[in-house]
Amino acid sequence: MKAGRLLDASSARALEFAWLRDALAPASSYGDRVFERCEPFLPGEETLAQKRADRIAKIAGTYHAPVLDAAREVFRNVPDAAGAIARASMGDALSDANLLELQRFFDACERIDALFASGGLVAPLAPGAVREGARALELGRAGSFGFYLSDAFDAGLAAARSAHAAAQAEYDAVRGRASAAIANLLGREISGSEFIVMRADLAGPLPPGVRVIREAPTYVLCELDADEATLAALERRDAAANAVAHAEEAVRARLSQVIAERAAALDAACERFGELDVLVAAARFTQAHGAHAPRIVPEPALSFTRGTFVPLAIELAREGRAFTPIDVDLDGVAVLTGPNMGGKSVCLRTCGFVALCAAFGVPVPARESTVGLFQEIAWLGAGSGDEPGGLLSSFAREVVRLRDLLGRVSGPACVLLDEFARTTTPREGRALLVAVIERLQALRARGLAATHLDGVAESAGVRHFAVRGLRGIPERPAASSLAAALEILGASMDYTIVEVADDGRAGADAIALAALLGLDDTLTSAAYAALDGDGRG
Amino acid sequence: MHARVGESILQLARETGASSLFVVGTGKNVGKTVTMRAIYEACVRDGVAPGLASIGRDGEAVDAGDALPKPRLRLSPGTVIATARDVLPRSPATEVLELPRLQTAAGSLVVARVRASALYELVGPPTASGIRECVAVLLRHAPYAIVDGAIDRIAALAGGGDAIVVACGASAAATPEEAVDDVRALVARLRVPAYEGGEALEIDGALTPSRASELIRAKESRAIVVRDPTQIALTGKAALHALSRLQLRARRPLRVVAVTVSSLGRDGSFEPRAFARSVAEATGLPTFDVYTAERAA
Repeated sequence: MKAGRLLDASSARALEFAWLRDALAPASSYGDRVFERCEPFLPGEETLAQKRADRIAKIAGTYHAPVLDAAREVFRNVPDAAGAIARASMGDALSDANLLELQRFFDACERIDALFASGGLVAPLAPGAVREGARALELGRAGSFGFYLSDAFDAGLAAARSAHAAAQAEYDAVRGRASAAIANLLGREISGSEFIVMRADLAGPLPPGVRVIREAPTYVLCELDADEATLAALERRDAAANAVAHAEEAVRARLSQVIAERAAALDAACERFGELDVLVAAARFTQAHGAHAPRIVPEPALSFTRGTFVPLAIELAREGRAFTPIDVDLDGVAVLTGPNMGGKSVCLRTCGFVALCAAFGVPVPARESTVGLFQEIAWLGAGSGDEPGGLLSSFAREVVRLRDLLGRVSGPACVLLDEFARTTTPREGRALLVAVIERLQALRARGLAATHLDGVAESAGVRHFAVRGLRGIPERPAASSLAAALEILGASMDYTIVEVADDGRAGADAIALAALLGLDDTLTSAAYAALDGDGRG
Repeated sequence: MHARVGESILQLARETGASSLFVVGTGKNVGKTVTMRAIYEACVRDGVAPGLASIGRDGEAVDAGDALPKPRLRLSPGTVIATARDVLPRSPATEVLELPRLQTAAGSLVVARVRASALYELVGPPTASGIRECVAVLLRHAPYAIVDGAIDRIAALAGGGDAIVVACGASAAATPEEAVDDVRALVARLRVPAYEGGEALEIDGALTPSRASELIRAKESRAIVVRDPTQIALTGKAALHALSRLQLRARRPLRVVAVTVSSLGRDGSFEPRAFARSVAEATGLPTFDVYTAERAA
């Protein structure tokens, strides 16, 4: 799954694209090939994106998680038969390992068909070619797992093996007799082709049939010599082994021909197998995160109810905390204000994540949503994960990324500005942000600009949303514990996003938050005093 | 003293209750494969079709490193092997059992059951985790697994509960004394006793030469506890020195059951009986010469 031009590297980091890719990853190598080719749908492809999202949602709604998990298990364990099909199609006689790969693939197709037999949503994977291939290989099924080029494939093969077994037995007997006779004469066992005889143990010369290959003062290194009878038996065994090799290759060639003749249909079956693997992975994502198919519309749009930024929701769940789902309805670029740690950035990320899922035709983690396809989803400002350092300041890096974005956007874009221009003077930062919003409005972009600067929405003439914020000033935790402070903060913060008419109350949430996080009383009191002197409302 | 070498070692291994046996050597061409073959043939004579694997490459006609002849592995029907797909002979056909997602130096691994007697080459995964997974797969299809190991992949022994046979020989040392020192150090290291309580210093990870030297200088008297003996990253004289000065202990000790000697070197050889006797005395373990079919102790 590639982000292509939808996301640049910084935006991909901010919106956890890698997480989403991992969450949607298929289980098989067939699925990997399809997944590798997955690119976001572009504006104009709304029907295709809608169709895909609806199909995934239907699969998720029709088949219970255990069925999808069982399918994932089949996908995970099936070997990749695509190489074997390709080799057969080019005239190669397949190896027995290739034939096992094919047999396992055919079996997997049948198991998947059985799992999705009801529901009518998944076309059978094992029509003609797969069934014919499976039938051709059936005689090779050995035990629960294996494949063996069994005698049942060909009477000539059975005869050749029988002759070889007889020749081997004859050779073993001749060789065994010679070895046993010499072992008896030497009064010891002989294992392997080479053995040492200690001179001290020899009363006379070495027995006949023993050849010396190295002499030393105290011992001789020997090997068994082959007499005429042994050599003749060996010759007969080798000839029989050659006959078996020819008979086995003939069977392999015949089986490979069956595969070669159906290569195109089998390739198509591999492709459908991979596509289903990808769809099942997305359907499990849908079930696991309560996602729903969005309404994908041909105009720029981004609105949803009870949206979730899934990577954060999972992190919070691990700590026993819950994500507060949010509602967003954007008809242009809007301003978002609110206290620190009130969820402004999370709101932006949720917007980006919803738009990202929709762009790939995947159900989005929101109850209801209307989303357009964007040429680009861009994240600018804090949280982009840009490496510090280099010749540019953080402000300069933001400006350069904005310049590049404005230079390349020619279609609908979703732009998420997280405290853009926060590192310059408030007066100039506000002016710059207002100008940027105006430009984005002119470009018919959708997005949000989270900021602590006053008066931006009013100056830019755009809608203004705010996080409700702290419900009063929270009590400090008894002990100095960050976890406890975060717990209290979570309980005190109202993360709801509401549309507001103006910049709202001039509160002191930041100082309350600093106190909650353990800044000492003297300092925070001084801060409140300074705020009062500054005209605290 | 003449002995049925394979049977004797197999018996010693079985007494440990282990279902797998690793043959590790002090170097290249010290008789690991010959030892493995003797144990394998004893298994077959006993009516057991074992599983075989190798860390690296075994059973090929010539040494891939120096092009000299190598001992071959003629295997009987029923034997289960783990080897690289590209070295599995096309004929006689084998029963292909599994296609684990493990790689070897010669391509992906395949697990197959021998259906007709022939010469086979074993090429196994090069990593410790890969060989452990390989042994687990073998044991799904065979009651007993024998692994031809390698001195530089001793980490594969960690956590396996295998019986271990150490092979030493003339090819890995210039003199018998050097060969005896090497095998004494390796055996002493692998036989570090179990930690049974008391004041101890736990080593997280490997005990490196510099850490061991530090502890010796500090005259550390507590037990030095490693996870298992493969974590002792010391060889030769350094290992012997550390073992004599420090109380090394292992949370999970290994089970070394025997030593085999090969007095035949590529460029020279040792007097077989004297060499075997010295090794037996140095290691205190049952010591066998596969070539003379004798037990030294």
